[in-house]
Amino acid sequence: MFADRSYRIVVGALAALGLAFLAFPVIVTVVASFEGSSFIAFPPTSWSLKWYGEIGSINRIVEATWISFQVAFASAALATLLAGLAALAIVRGRLPLGGALATVLASPISLPMIAIGMALVQFFIAIGVAFTWWSLVVGHMVLVVAYPLRTIISSLLLAERSQEEAAASLGASPLTVFRTVTLSQIAPGVVSGFMFAFLISFDNYPISLFLVRGSLTTMPIEVFNYINQSFDPTPAAFSTVYMVVLTILIAIAEKRYRIISLALPR
Amino acid sequence: MPGTNTLAKNAVVGPGVDAADKAGPFWSRLALPGRAGLLVLPALAFMVVFYLYPVSMMLQTSVEPAASGATAAKAGGITFQHYGEVLDSRRMTASLERTIRLSAISTLITFVIAYPIALFLVGARPWLRTAILVFTFASLAASIIVRNYGWLVVLADGGPVNSILIAVGIIEWPLRLVYSEGAILVALVHYAMPFMILPIYGALVRLTPSQWEAAQSLGGSPWTVLRSVVLPLSMPGVFGGVTLSFAIAASAYVTPLMLGSPASAFASQVAAEELLVQLNFPRGSAVIVLLTLCTFAVIGLYAFAVRRIGQTHVRG
Repeated sequence: MFADRSYRIVVGALAALGLAFLAFPVIVTVVASFEGSSFIAFPPTSWSLKWYGEIGSINRIVEATWISFQVAFASAALATLLAGLAALAIVRGRLPLGGALATVLASPISLPMIAIGMALVQFFIAIGVAFTWWSLVVGHMVLVVAYPLRTIISSLLLAERSQEEAAASLGASPLTVFRTVTLSQIAPGVVSGFMFAFLISFDNYPISLFLVRGSLTTMPIEVFNYINQSFDPTPAAFSTVYMVVLTILIAIAEKRYRIISLALPR
Repeated sequence: MPGTNTLAKNAVVGPGVDAADKAGPFWSRLALPGRAGLLVLPALAFMVVFYLYPVSMMLQTSVEPAASGATAAKAGGITFQHYGEVLDSRRMTASLERTIRLSAISTLITFVIAYPIALFLVGARPWLRTAILVFTFASLAASIIVRNYGWLVVLADGGPVNSILIAVGIIEWPLRLVYSEGAILVALVHYAMPFMILPIYGALVRLTPSQWEAAQSLGGSPWTVLRSVVLPLSMPGVFGGVTLSFAIAASAYVTPLMLGSPASAFASQVAAEELLVQLNFPRGSAVIVLLTLCTFAVIGLYAFAVRRIGQTHVRG
């Protein structure tokens, strides 16, 4: 924001260094995924694409990714529904202590993550449903509910109430007003909240660790185990695919729904 | 859906009711049956059953007499014996100290690296700003395991850091960089970066051009304005970024597990080990409760300090 030349140079240089630090392991991982030998060396001694063909050999990666996808989808969808209703109640219902309630609902993200896993596994064992698909979904829901709650509250606060009033004064029924006006106003918050929740669940390791057993397993658990037991560059190929897909998804979502500006705390 | 109906009706008559509500005593604002406020109930019920109750159960476990023996199962009462065991164990207190120390250091480093990036973003051209934000966001969302794996590769014996150090002749043989506190620190900083950049950027974009220019037109150099105007005005964002980064680092589990060794275990690891390996639920719960208390204490102290500094700043 300053025209001053020395200021621009210094801030630009420091920012470039910081961004280089952020990008460095990403670039190194992508380069390492094209390694020709079975061990990671830098720079790679020879080049090949064979590790991309090996991704399927990461333990039970295919089943685990499918389970992760289902669990992330279910927990994000249900968490978004609960959070959407709660956000409407807090913002539009003018709840007393609404702010405090929102803090309580979002508080799991400020606890150590393994605390949630530890507490839930004891609880699930006590009621006899531990290590089931649904118990995994519930565990992830507890963690991710905070994200759609924050984004939907943000978009409700930004929404123009006068549009709803205009629709109502033109004779629209309350249900029609909600469906046509309110819902489209909060759509960006719903989409970005769902996306956040999905990604956080898909990536979770510390809660899943306590809630999986036997054939119930997730992508992060399998990848982690593979990294621990072998040193070939297969995880680098997996990581590259993962990051490329993710970046494309986020770029699309930002273009369509401005998810980043909604996620910024206000 | 009757719920939705009342909600929309409520939404439509909103502004008129608002003034009346604010005028009345506080109990007149309590959610009455049929009001939109009831929509909070599903989420609240879910969190009470699957979050508040299990967590309070864990708290109770940590003060139950007798560790795992069935002898005193129904003895009742409260004991702090498990907390005593944790505080007597050199390994457990060391893990708590290490967690808090490395989290504080990593938060400080993250702030120093992230602030110039946020400053740069405010003045950057729109396309560059979007590109950097998407990249920052993608690294925030990228799998923590993928990101830590990146550092395993970077710091490996045959990785780029060792290759460069050998190439320029600083060392002859590769250094053991992974599985150390230093490796954990680097990865923690890297993981927390987006959580620091985004809130600070969020606070900086809300400064008006006049706030940037006013002090400058009075003759201050950009650095003086930055220190005396921009930095204090961006404090809400800094506060959010710092507390978030610290909380993330203090509850880190995967990062110290992947990049550290048993000698550099974090409190979360020790707690998980008590539970999964020793099957000692009370002691594992006690470690987690202590970790949570330490984390909240540090964040509380930081909030207190920020407020005090803010007050002296205003008075002086």
